[in-house]
Amino acid sequence: MSLDRRPRAPFVTVGLVVLVVTALTVIQVRSQAEVARSLSGQDNASLAFLIDDLHSSNDQLAQEEQTLAGQRDALRSGGASVVDAQLSAEAQRLRIIEGLEPVTGPGVTISVDAPLNEIDLQDAVNNLRNGGAEAIIVAGRRVVTGSVIRRLGDGLEIDGQPAEGPWTFSAVGDPAQLAAAADLMTRSLRADPRVRSAGYLLSPALTLTATLRLRPFVYALSQ
Amino acid sequence: MLTRMGWYPVVALTALAFGFFFATQLRSQLIPPSNQVARNQALVSTVQRLERDNAGSRARIGQLRGEVADLEKVAAQRSDSSQRLAGEVADLRAHAGLTRVHGPGETVLIGNGKPNPSAPAGTAYLVDVQDVQDVVNLLYQGGAEAVSVNGRRISPGSRIQGSGGAVVIDQDPPLQAPFQVAAVGNRAQMEALLAEPASLGDLKRRQRDYNLQVSWQGAGDLSLPASDATLAVSYAHVP
Repeated sequence: MSLDRRPRAPFVTVGLVVLVVTALTVIQVRSQAEVARSLSGQDNASLAFLIDDLHSSNDQLAQEEQTLAGQRDALRSGGASVVDAQLSAEAQRLRIIEGLEPVTGPGVTISVDAPLNEIDLQDAVNNLRNGGAEAIIVAGRRVVTGSVIRRLGDGLEIDGQPAEGPWTFSAVGDPAQLAAAADLMTRSLRADPRVRSAGYLLSPALTLTATLRLRPFVYALSQ
Repeated sequence: MLTRMGWYPVVALTALAFGFFFATQLRSQLIPPSNQVARNQALVSTVQRLERDNAGSRARIGQLRGEVADLEKVAAQRSDSSQRLAGEVADLRAHAGLTRVHGPGETVLIGNGKPNPSAPAGTAYLVDVQDVQDVVNLLYQGGAEAVSVNGRRISPGSRIQGSGGAVVIDQDPPLQAPFQVAAVGNRAQMEALLAEPASLGDLKRRQRDYNLQVSWQGAGDLSLPASDATLAVSYAHVP
C-alpha cells in the first residue's frame, strides 16, 4: 500500500514543529551553560591584561616583603649603629615619598604653553604618577597624591601657593615609562586647540627641589 | 505495514534527530569552540590564584610592618639618637598612610546609574576612575588628613588608575563600583565643600541625568586601615 498525497501535510507540520522546538531547546540550554562557564564574562584579552598587571603588582609586593624581612632581621640582630642607620634610611625614603626632600635621578620635563585649568594640572600629575614618577614638580611646586590643585578667582593654586603658566611638569622616576607617558601626554596636548606648544625633554639626572612641609595631623589619631 | 497514524512517531523521531544535528552544527559556529572556553576558564583560574597571592602578600606586608615597628620601639630605648629617629620615622609613617588612623570624618558613596534613553548613548551612567579621583581630590581639598577607597588607604605615592569601570589603586586587584571614599579630617569643611553646587560638577550632572548614586555621610569616629601597598623608591635619591 502506498501513501496517498493527503496525509503528507500533517507529517511535514509535525516534523517541522518537532525539529524547530528541539533545535531551540538545545541552543537555549547550551547557551546558558556557556554563559555560566565564562564566569564574569570577561574576554580572554582582558583577562590576559589583568594577569599581566597582577604579575607585575605581585612582583612589587614580593620585593617589599623581602625589604621588610631584611629590616626586621637587621633590627633583631644589629647593634645600635645598625639600628640608627636603618632608621635614618627609612626616614629618608619616607621623606622622599612625602616630597620633603630634594631628589635627583633620571626624569623628564614637559613644557606646555596653554591656558590650562585645575583639571588639566591634576590629569597631568595623575598621568606622570601612573607613568612611573616617584617625585613630581608642577610650576615649581612639589606635588604628591593629596596635594590640592584648585582654582582661586582667575588663577590657580597648588597647596595654597599661586601657580601660573607657561607650565612645566618635571618628574623623576622610571625613565622608560616616563618617556612613554610624556610622549603620550604631549601628543594629546598638541591635539588640544588651546595649546600653543607642548614638548618634553628627557634627562639622566634631573634635580627636583622640596617645597612641601609635613602638615601636623589635627583630627587623625594613629591607632 | 504502517497505518497513517503509525507514520507520525517515525517522522517526529527523524525530525528530533535532525533537530539535534542542526542545533549542534549551529552552536558549534555561534559559540566559542570548547578549547576557547577552556582557555577562558584557565585564565579565570590564573586571575583567581594571582588575586589570592596578592592578598597573601599584602597581609604579610602588614604583619612585617607591625613587627618592624615593634622592634624599632624596643631599639629606640637603647639611645637618645635611636629614640629621636624612631619618633621621626613613626610620624613620617603616619603621614605616609602606613599606620591605621581614626577620627571624625566623611564617607562619600558613588555608584553606577542607569542608561538614559533620552541622553546620548555611552557609559556616562557608570562610575569611572576619574570620578573616584575627583572625590579623593575634593576631600583632600576639604582638609582630609587620611583617605581610603573601598578600604584601600591612599598614600602620598599612591597611583590611582583604571579603565572602564575598574579602578586600580597601587598594587591592588581592580575595584568595581560602588565606591566608598572615606576621609578623616575636618568634617564641617569637607561637608561644606561636598555640598557646593560647583563641586563634583560632572558627577552631580550625571546623578541628575543617569541616576548615578552620589551621597555622603559624616561620622564622629571613622577608622581607616593602614596601606599594605609598596612604597618603593628606586630612581629618586637625595643629591
